[in-house]
Amino acid sequence: MQIRKIVPSKHSLFFILVIITSNAVSAQTLNKDLHSHKGWSLFGALTLNNQSINDAGITAPINYLYNSENNNAFKAGYSGGFRWDGVINQQHRYSLIFSANRVSTGTNYEHKYTLAPFIEDFTHFKADNQFTNLSFAAHYKMLLPVNDMQKFKFYAVLGPSIDYKITMISSENLINGAGNRAYINGDLGAEFDNKGYYILYAHYKLGANLLSSSVSIQMNRLEMGMSIKLKDLF
Amino acid sequence: MKKLHTILLISIVLCLIACNKETATTQTDVMNNLLVNKIWYLDYSITGNNSKSYVGQSTYFVTYLKDGLTRDSDGLIGNYTVEIVNNQSQIHIMMKTINGNSFELIYDIISVGNTKLVLSKQIVSGTPTQLFFTSK
Repeated sequence: MQIRKIVPSKHSLFFILVIITSNAVSAQTLNKDLHSHKGWSLFGALTLNNQSINDAGITAPINYLYNSENNNAFKAGYSGGFRWDGVINQQHRYSLIFSANRVSTGTNYEHKYTLAPFIEDFTHFKADNQFTNLSFAAHYKMLLPVNDMQKFKFYAVLGPSIDYKITMISSENLINGAGNRAYINGDLGAEFDNKGYYILYAHYKLGANLLSSSVSIQMNRLEMGMSIKLKDLF
Repeated sequence: MKKLHTILLISIVLCLIACNKETATTQTDVMNNLLVNKIWYLDYSITGNNSKSYVGQSTYFVTYLKDGLTRDSDGLIGNYTVEIVNNQSQIHIMMKTINGNSFELIYDIISVGNTKLVLSKQIVSGTPTQLFFTSK
């Protein structure tokens, strides 16, 4: 029997070191800023969106010109909502985010089809590229040992989120059971907390269909936004 | 109060799940929308290994109107329906000749889009002819 030796890479060792250091540091500084950390905030964000479409499961005899539909770019949308920042066991920081997103997205079709003797390329599916969804995210926040942590705080955030499309799905998107409303995302990001007055953040979300579908969609979303404590606003 | 919240929550969930689902006519509706109110010009016809090109010649064209009527460049007029029979999308046309005689034509839809249409004419025996249309 072959035994493979697992050797952690330099990157993973560095990552583990950062986690250990940040946990130790956050324990020291936590008591002073627990009150400023907790609470409801209002936020707004600019989003950049892209989706990747695999229409291999579509059997309907429908064609769309590939060059007209394919646009592998990130398109801008916007997002707004509320978030709750909290602490569990006086140690683990988290945030719960409730948002509404207006999504405009570039679309990359993974497959091209031909209909010889026509010379053009085709897709069998035309994805909706403008829609609105509701989103819920639960993020674990890890305090990073950067700068003077009594004043400014930098966090690495990680966690899942769920998007639910609330706009009408076009008929083209319902054929062959392709209609998708729910997406599950893995979120990764960074946040900058300025003394509890406001938070600047950038989150990257990588999502996929929550339920099985004949068309698998991979969503990529980058959110850059700002949140302000509700008690400071009202 | 708790009951009311539960009912409200269930209603919202049911509403979100129920709305906007695929129905039996979704595919034919989409194909119909792509087909109608355009002039489809025949570019190629292929029967087995025999291929003919009519690109740029406007030799033959056909239109499918929203009210279910179809007419072609030969002067034939008829009524058409888009149907799915045994998972095969088809156009059924009840044609009337200039003399008033009726006959039915069935085309298998190989592919339909905004500007490209590929049909295969159903025949009792022999090799079917594939027709490649472009709308302009």
